[in-house]
Amino acid sequence: MNGDIILVIVIVTALAFDLTNGFHDTANVVATAISTRAIAPKVAVAGASLLNFAGAFISLKVATTVGKGFVDTHAVTTTVVFAGLVGAIAWNIITWYFGLPSSSSHALIGGLVGSVAAASGFGAVNGDGLISNLIVPAIIAPILALLTAGVAILVTYRIVGKLRPGPTNRGFRLGQIASSSLLALSHGTNDAQKTMGVITLALVAHGNISATAFHVPTWVVVASASAISIGTFSGGWRIIRTLGTRIVKMDPAQGFAAQGAGAAVILAASSVGYPLSTTHVISGGIMGAGAGKRLSAVRWGVAGNIVAGWLVTLPAAAIFGGLVYAISSLFGHNAIGPLVISTVLLLALTAVFTRRAQQSTPAPAPS
Amino acid sequence: MSTATIDAHLLLRVAYTAFAAGVGASLVFSLTVYGVVRSSEMRREQRSVAAASYGLLGAIGLVLTVALIVFGLILLARKS
Repeated sequence: MNGDIILVIVIVTALAFDLTNGFHDTANVVATAISTRAIAPKVAVAGASLLNFAGAFISLKVATTVGKGFVDTHAVTTTVVFAGLVGAIAWNIITWYFGLPSSSSHALIGGLVGSVAAASGFGAVNGDGLISNLIVPAIIAPILALLTAGVAILVTYRIVGKLRPGPTNRGFRLGQIASSSLLALSHGTNDAQKTMGVITLALVAHGNISATAFHVPTWVVVASASAISIGTFSGGWRIIRTLGTRIVKMDPAQGFAAQGAGAAVILAASSVGYPLSTTHVISGGIMGAGAGKRLSAVRWGVAGNIVAGWLVTLPAAAIFGGLVYAISSLFGHNAIGPLVISTVLLLALTAVFTRRAQQSTPAPAPS
Repeated sequence: MSTATIDAHLLLRVAYTAFAAGVGASLVFSLTVYGVVRSSEMRREQRSVAAASYGLLGAIGLVLTVALIVFGLILLARKS
């Protein structure tokens, strides 16, 4: 009975994490197409939401990597998965509140690794898997997207550089419908699978699935796809309101090159099961397309922030995951610990969001 | 970090596939835009043979763009 309650809490928490992932990443997926006026904001967000859903069904390799590539599945319990998830959410909320760069994907895996290490020691962590399937691809993917987009925009300008800008821009705006769609599809393919992997890991720990016959059940795929899709749709409306101030100015050809490069890197990585930070890859693509036109157009400070995010997120989320497991263990190995922590987390989230909302509300003018 | 833990071959495959697909898509779509825009200019100048040639270039570019995307997605779905 206790195990069932914890499993339900884990699944709900994982789906909530997936929803926030879609909510956050809407900007990355649709911003370029909206800023170049290739697609109307409402259409872009609705389309991205649908394609995120569809993308989740294309591949399951990333889910398998997340589920059994980083930790020993025999050392995992539902409480361990819960602690990892809460550790990742806590780190995401802290970085969001203070405006620090972070990656939801790295936080998720870091949280899980930390909680497993706290529960069973570092021997239960697959160090080789972490290096080869997470850390090295995390370093290479944004650089690859930057180079690909940079070369792509140079090739593009070489071909269409002397044409009249009006019809050329119209052509690339049409192309951006395809590149934007591919980017949304690739986002769903890579990001939704991380949640699938975590839920499946919890099902293995609970005994619903055998560790030797690791597979992602269809209902997990549908639930994860739905959560990221709903998150993308809800996040979009906020982005539309703040669009004017947050987006870097790009021409449609640059938008096409950036989105095409981002989608190509994410899809190629998904095909071999690498869980990437899609935010980092898309940022790399945008920087590459910007640098291809003019090096000074790129906000290199953003690149520095991303590197800082790489360095800090994984160990910080791991520490949080380990701490949450330790706190949960104080209540014994039953459902009380996860229930108490969930309640505290919900209260903390409410307090943080209320405080943030108060801070962003302008003070009334003196009468 | 031991080199044995990193599958360099797999990483390299991801790198060149992504690079070829990303640059290739921009290349063939740029040819589409170039063909269509130049064809329209030639038509305005009443140079029908040149207009048809550029139109053909644009059409080939478009077919290649669509083929590249479809091929990539089929490959991804098959592997998984």
